[in-house]
Amino acid sequence: MATIIVQPSGAEIFISPDDTVLAGLQKAGYAYTVGCRRGGCGICKVDVLDGSFTYNRTVADSVITATERTDGTCLSCRAVPDEDLTIQMRDASLRLVNPLLGQLNAKARERARAASNAPEEQ
Amino acid sequence: MGIMRMGYAHVRVTDMTEAKNHYGSTMGLYETLEDVSPEGNKRVFYKGWDEWDHHSVVLEEGGVGVVKYGWKAQHEADIEAIENKAKTFGLTVERMSAGENPEVGDGIRFTTTSDHVFEVFHSQTAIGTEVGTHNPDPFPRHLVGIGVPALDHSLITCEDPKLMEKLLMDVFDFYPTERIQTSLEDDHELAGTWLTSNNQIHQMAVIGGPQGKLHHFAFRLDDWSQVGHAADLLTMDDVAVDVTPTRHGITRGQTTYFFDPSGNRNEVFGGGYLAFPDRPTNVWTVDQIGKGIFYHSRELNERFTSVLT
Repeated sequence: MATIIVQPSGAEIFISPDDTVLAGLQKAGYAYTVGCRRGGCGICKVDVLDGSFTYNRTVADSVITATERTDGTCLSCRAVPDEDLTIQMRDASLRLVNPLLGQLNAKARERARAASNAPEEQ
Repeated sequence: MGIMRMGYAHVRVTDMTEAKNHYGSTMGLYETLEDVSPEGNKRVFYKGWDEWDHHSVVLEEGGVGVVKYGWKAQHEADIEAIENKAKTFGLTVERMSAGENPEVGDGIRFTTTSDHVFEVFHSQTAIGTEVGTHNPDPFPRHLVGIGVPALDHSLITCEDPKLMEKLLMDVFDFYPTERIQTSLEDDHELAGTWLTSNNQIHQMAVIGGPQGKLHHFAFRLDDWSQVGHAADLLTMDDVAVDVTPTRHGITRGQTTYFFDPSGNRNEVFGGGYLAFPDRPTNVWTVDQIGKGIFYHSRELNERFTSVLT
């Protein structure tokens, strides 16, 4: 389980294992400009400032260039976080369009944090 | 009569297994051949149940977007006539030999002003429709998924739609059925154009955008109920839907847009009125483009002019 920290707002979003960055953000009630959601159009690119991720499908070289594979560019519909990720939106801003889902995500994050901080039983 | 229809759309997919699941199981196309291209890429060839030629869709593994389109000419002599018109237009035309595309005969190939590759052929191995020609039933009994009958049309983008419209008119004898213009004045800019060679409302549409890109390719359905049923199946198969069922103001067709597993946009298209060369061309002004494209929402979604492969 990982947390995505979105800059510039600093919003923290809890993401389930195996969810892509896009799927995680959408499930948490957030929206931003996306396209095909299948790795073909490149509209949903964000920049990763910290942390690593893995693409869960083959991504075409015309969508993510050789340079973009090493410069922090992240095709969010295909990227699954390996650990906590700090990302920066490009032209599209991240909007909380479903506050109910946002509240539920925040509570899930609190619970996960409490569980991981709890002293282990001896 | 020259070009009768778009014979095949040849597109790239990133993962053949997922693509086959989509085009075979969800769209319900019939696989007619699986091979490896001379470049070493996996390819799969498909036809719809109501198509008689060997294939109308070719998938090639590696990348996304369109490789080329094949156009079927009615007579063998049409190929030379089209070759001459293409040369007169200023295009570089090369000859294509039978077998360069499996089961496709001799023809020509050229790159359009829009940077798309067009092939023109006259013969393809005839397989026959799935209902045959002898006292045929109206549809096959065991269609899979949506069970599209045939490839219908494609929409591409390029920097100069007016020049591409001229190419399709001069070289293919197409005529525009509908256009989007910046104004009704003579000095208007052409933002989009829908063209055909016969009564089909459009075979190729062109809108302004980057060179060489695919907006979508479409499969034919009859009407609203079939489009609605298709949309239900898209949800069942977790296909990424772009636009839920609606009507196009342009062509009056009923539609839903969605993406294949590689992000190439597909459409199922029902209805549309009959086209005739002497029917006055419908003109939409850019201020009404939302209504022209999506008649009910009356606004272009944020993906229509930006999401391409």
